[in-house]
Amino acid sequence: MRVGDLFGLALAALWQQKSRTAMTTLGVLFGSFVLAASLSIGQGVQDTIERESHRSDFLRKITVRSNHRGANADSAGKQVEVAGEMSDAKRDRLRRAIADHSPGKPVALTRDKLVKMATLEHVEAVVPMFWLSGFAVLDQQSQLASLAGVRPESIDCRRRLIAGEFFSSSRQPVCTVSEYLLYRWGLTDEASIAGVLGKKIRVELRGPGQQRGLRLVLDKPEGEEPTLEETIALEKIKEQLPKVLDFFPLPPDQSRLLRGMIEGKDASPASVVSEEFTIVGVLRAATPEELKEPWDPLRVSADLILPYETAADFYFRQQGTEERGIDHAVVVVDDERHTKAIYQQILDQGLTAFTVLEFIEQQQLIYLLIFGGMTCVAAVALLVAALGIANTMLMSVLERTREIGIMKAVGAGNTELQLVFVIEGAIIGSLGGGLGVLLAWLASMPGDAWVRSMVAHSVPVELKDSLFVFPLWLIAVTLAFAITITTLAALYPARRAARIDPVAALRHE
Amino acid sequence: MPEHSGSHALDGQAIRAVDLTKAYGHADSPVYALRGVTFEVRWGERVALLGKSGSGKSTLLNLLGGLDRPTSGSLDVAGHSIARLTGRQLARFRSVSVGMIFQSFNLIHSRNAWQNVKLPLVFAGQQPRERREVARRALEAVGLAARFDHRPAEMSGGENQRVAIARALANRPQILLADEPTGNLDSATAREVVRLIREHVEERQATLILVTHDEDLAAACTDRVLRLIDGQLAT
Repeated sequence: MRVGDLFGLALAALWQQKSRTAMTTLGVLFGSFVLAASLSIGQGVQDTIERESHRSDFLRKITVRSNHRGANADSAGKQVEVAGEMSDAKRDRLRRAIADHSPGKPVALTRDKLVKMATLEHVEAVVPMFWLSGFAVLDQQSQLASLAGVRPESIDCRRRLIAGEFFSSSRQPVCTVSEYLLYRWGLTDEASIAGVLGKKIRVELRGPGQQRGLRLVLDKPEGEEPTLEETIALEKIKEQLPKVLDFFPLPPDQSRLLRGMIEGKDASPASVVSEEFTIVGVLRAATPEELKEPWDPLRVSADLILPYETAADFYFRQQGTEERGIDHAVVVVDDERHTKAIYQQILDQGLTAFTVLEFIEQQQLIYLLIFGGMTCVAAVALLVAALGIANTMLMSVLERTREIGIMKAVGAGNTELQLVFVIEGAIIGSLGGGLGVLLAWLASMPGDAWVRSMVAHSVPVELKDSLFVFPLWLIAVTLAFAITITTLAALYPARRAARIDPVAALRHE
Repeated sequence: MPEHSGSHALDGQAIRAVDLTKAYGHADSPVYALRGVTFEVRWGERVALLGKSGSGKSTLLNLLGGLDRPTSGSLDVAGHSIARLTGRQLARFRSVSVGMIFQSFNLIHSRNAWQNVKLPLVFAGQQPRERREVARRALEAVGLAARFDHRPAEMSGGENQRVAIARALANRPQILLADEPTGNLDSATAREVVRLIREHVEERQATLILVTHDEDLAAACTDRVLRLIDGQLAT
């Protein structure tokens, strides 16, 4: 018998029972739709996470911080002896509680640590991150200004350059100034902005000295900061205050109290670090669109931007910074494949660290579990549909008993009859599976728009591509699954059909 | 003698049954439909199987048509030993070697006349173009050129039986087995059907086994009569 005839007989039988075929196909269609949709969004979300991660190079960056809790807290806790009669579980709990309350030796992110991290293999750069506030003096006029260090490669800074150029080395006595700082100086027109290029700017970092104690603060109207002159004047008053305390008309006990608070607490003068930098460029502020871009730990916004090594040198000239270290640093790895290894090496140094890679892997695992669950539900839906098919086809075998007997009487073999029924199952699977994938694809269009609007409302990320993907493997897997399930469901009815005794079947009414 | 093929030569015999027995039911208490039936039919011979209802006529016809297998004894039809054929060979035998006509026509109701006639050709693996032509000619030969697209429910009993005859003859089998072909027809239609069967058998020099309880029909259509009484041939 010809293969085409087998299909012809199967199609004719399906056509003969149009309503039943349509209902059965609908069951397969629904299962396939859910399967295709869950596979599609599952893969789409994975792809989107991966794509968005690679749009920026933040997978190569590790944020490192000082470990204030102490690196040895856990190990110290493990060594604690917990005396007394108790269960092992309770002893462990107490040991952990002791560890949690035992301050280990804090590990600061010092210059030595920065140098050590920079020497690790596959580390491209270690960028200290700090936001300093100091006085910038240009043409005898001072302004309180923020200061940060960045890499010469910084794409973010380079595209915000509106005059001059960006520095090319990580250590040189140059800086860029913000358009807003110049505005605060009254430099607004293009000519005066261009005029500052090449000029020297003096930056003064003024700290309270090593010891803590009295601090005089000038609280000015909102939006105004104390000038350098005002700050210096306040510092002088603070220095001279102990000497003039007796001139104040205070009761003796208050005078004694104040003397006790002031004397010997801050004998040293204010710590002042000052340096000159040549202005090489002017930067504008980031636009709202630029701020929507993927998060980058190296992105900074400051009035003055210095090459990061020059900034670090400047920072570490302040009193106490060698011991205190810096707030945090960003380690840039040459390739994201090495990020985890470097991350571990940093933790081994007792520092705390954070990498987005780990977060992304966790997110991908969560989504994998969610969509894996959805896929299982879809598979169950298809299995239920398959049971429906098996039932429908068994009914069909019963109804077609006489027809099967006639076909046997005129030459149909058992194998051929079995194949006809199996092909009927496969056709239902192909039709339902194909329509299911098609429906999932059609539904993905409004679905994608809806998910995008949800994403746009909750996170400042603009997704460029669809969250639903329909690669060839997905279409093939859904179709293959639907066809396999429905074909398997048709096997038993097919065997029943083949086993029908033609003599008995011809007597069947 | 007509050309025929088969695994066993029958020395000019189209059918040879030796001590043929068919029993139904449990082995402990079998019900015998045929008991040691022995007979031969020559190629081109027309034989009537006469007997009352329950005498085993239809059982014997089913065995001859390869729809059933004997319980014991040997049965050779058109060179094929029915008991020894595999399921696939038996299906092939039914589609090519014999043509069967039933009292109740046994047409597939969802298919039209042309599709019903085509069915044995489909199972025989004939090319679509060829079988279209063969089915058309077969229907024309039984006078149903205008009924190609009609389904069984849209035709009379006589027309349905003519479609069944066309189907039985479509593969040009050398043995035609007819089980009470006029049983469900009025006398005028029955005469027409008998005329058709006789005409085609004579034209093709086919072997005919006609099961009937009608003595007149047997005398009109056949050369020899075999009588079955309680599963045994009357001597």
